[in-house]
Amino acid sequence: MVIEQDKMRSLADTMAQAEVKGRSPWADARKRFVRNKAAMAGLVILVLVTLFAAFGDYAAAWSNEELDYNVMGQVRELGAPSIATGHYFGTDDLGRDLYARTVQGTRISLMVGIVGAAIAVIVGTLYGATAGYVGGRTDQIMMRLVDILMSIPYMFVLILLLVVFGRSIGMLFLGIGLISWLDMSRIVRGQTLTLKNREFIEAAQATGVSSWRIIMRHIVPNLLGVVAVYATLLVPLMILTESFISFLGLGVQEPLTSWGALISEGAATMNYGTLWQLAFPLFFFCITLFGFFFVGDGLRDALDPKDR
Amino acid sequence: MFGYILRRLAVAVPTLLLLIVFSFLLMHAAPGGPFTGERSLPPQVLANLEAKYGLDQPLIVQLWNYLKGVVLQFDFGPSFVYPDRTVNGLIADGFPVTLTYGLLSFVLAALVGITLGVAAAIRHNSWLDYLAVGTSIGAQVLPNFVMAPILVLVLTLWLGWLPGGGWSFNDPSYWIMPVIALGTSYMASIARITRSSMLEVLGSNHIRTARAKGMPERRVILRHALKPALLPVISYLGPVFVSMITGSVVIDIYFSTGGIGRSFVDSALNRDYAVMMGITILVGALTVLFNLIVDILYAWIDPKIRY
Repeated sequence: MVIEQDKMRSLADTMAQAEVKGRSPWADARKRFVRNKAAMAGLVILVLVTLFAAFGDYAAAWSNEELDYNVMGQVRELGAPSIATGHYFGTDDLGRDLYARTVQGTRISLMVGIVGAAIAVIVGTLYGATAGYVGGRTDQIMMRLVDILMSIPYMFVLILLLVVFGRSIGMLFLGIGLISWLDMSRIVRGQTLTLKNREFIEAAQATGVSSWRIIMRHIVPNLLGVVAVYATLLVPLMILTESFISFLGLGVQEPLTSWGALISEGAATMNYGTLWQLAFPLFFFCITLFGFFFVGDGLRDALDPKDR
Repeated sequence: MFGYILRRLAVAVPTLLLLIVFSFLLMHAAPGGPFTGERSLPPQVLANLEAKYGLDQPLIVQLWNYLKGVVLQFDFGPSFVYPDRTVNGLIADGFPVTLTYGLLSFVLAALVGITLGVAAAIRHNSWLDYLAVGTSIGAQVLPNFVMAPILVLVLTLWLGWLPGGGWSFNDPSYWIMPVIALGTSYMASIARITRSSMLEVLGSNHIRTARAKGMPERRVILRHALKPALLPVISYLGPVFVSMITGSVVIDIYFSTGGIGRSFVDSALNRDYAVMMGITILVGALTVLFNLIVDILYAWIDPKIRY
């Protein structure tokens, strides 16, 4: 689950130098991506998981809040996964339908991942592009601040934040968003530095376009490739962070749930023989992370063909 | 070199101070004091309690006293929830445990990861390479909180080989699962980084020169390839160390090892702010210290770094 900084940098360099030669580089990239089997498999997995999160409810026989009183107290014997009872994934130890719970958890985990990455994209891109474009002392101060924030043990501070301001999903988003943009801003700044001496920027400056407009109209669109790849690789990291916190019981609160919370419940009850409680959430967790990693790697290779 | 270390310290010290001040202010921004429980205390008792812990003084004085205690005497003050315990006492109980399995895990992850990565790069496209790549991709989705239950399921519940939790300094069988659970995913990442950077170095000109002049392969790899190939690995070790400290929270909870992670989560659930702050600051200091070591190591290995 590491994002290799060297590869990102090399990608950034290639993106900055890419010239349009007849065929557009985007079309080339798409072709390379489609030819990459692992990346396409990852994409299919992600589409399926998303469909499961969006429409899984319609296939559920039970809602996630109903308790199955027949099962309660003898989950081990009666709560196993079965089509007949309508509990496709079994039930949890309270008799709630695990299928419905997994759908709910998938929704929340995906949402946390995507919102976290989105915050990183917006804040990180603007911050990095501003620092890189303005340069000089402003750049020094802005990047020094990033250095300082990066050397703070963020998980501990995040838990501190959650405890002090109450555990809510909004706080979780805010906390995860606060730390996620740091790496992004570094990468974006690096690429902005190579972009800002190019002729089209000079032309814009010569015609008197304001700095803000140059950043928004000329720098940011040229950053999209790097940002897209990095964002794809950030989503699983955000999901991991959220699951970690929920595993500790400090994240998403009942009746809401997430993969981390479900895995934690499953891990706590597995020695009663109810293994399905661990297996199903874990399965979705793992394949989704695989999917994002493969798609991210595939995108990177597609946009940066020299590094394969 | 000395000037370089000084300059790194010049960043490290304000970082720590900032962390202390930030967590202190955060604690005081919390709604309700540490003594607002279910039972409301008589005002006189509350006033006495607050006087005892110095909470009746102005915020800035409290901050100054706290800073003075932490910086000059390493004294994090008393716990708010358990009046007979100090934060220092809790840390002294838990920290040796965390340090033992944490360091073991760190060293093992680095050694195995680097060995695996180098071996995979040397035997590029062999079964060994595929095995290494496969393992590292698989282990990416097995963070500590997934590894821990799986290990317990297999090694304790099914096979019955290892104790499922607890800690003893004298019996290494208690150490095995925490070390593996904590280290696996980082081992995989280290192997991946080592492999790709080793592959890059092996394709570079100075390696071709070394081979062309007839240098034995072992010497080419150990003397000329390994050193530059390890640079990205070393810069990754800093984040790994931090993540491992963070991961120790899961280990302490899941395996009941009794390290500082347990105290941290307990204090988070009890709103025992003094303990939370103490541990956060301790971890922050370790992080800053370790990043400093990594920077120095990096500058020492890479002659291109100007210091």
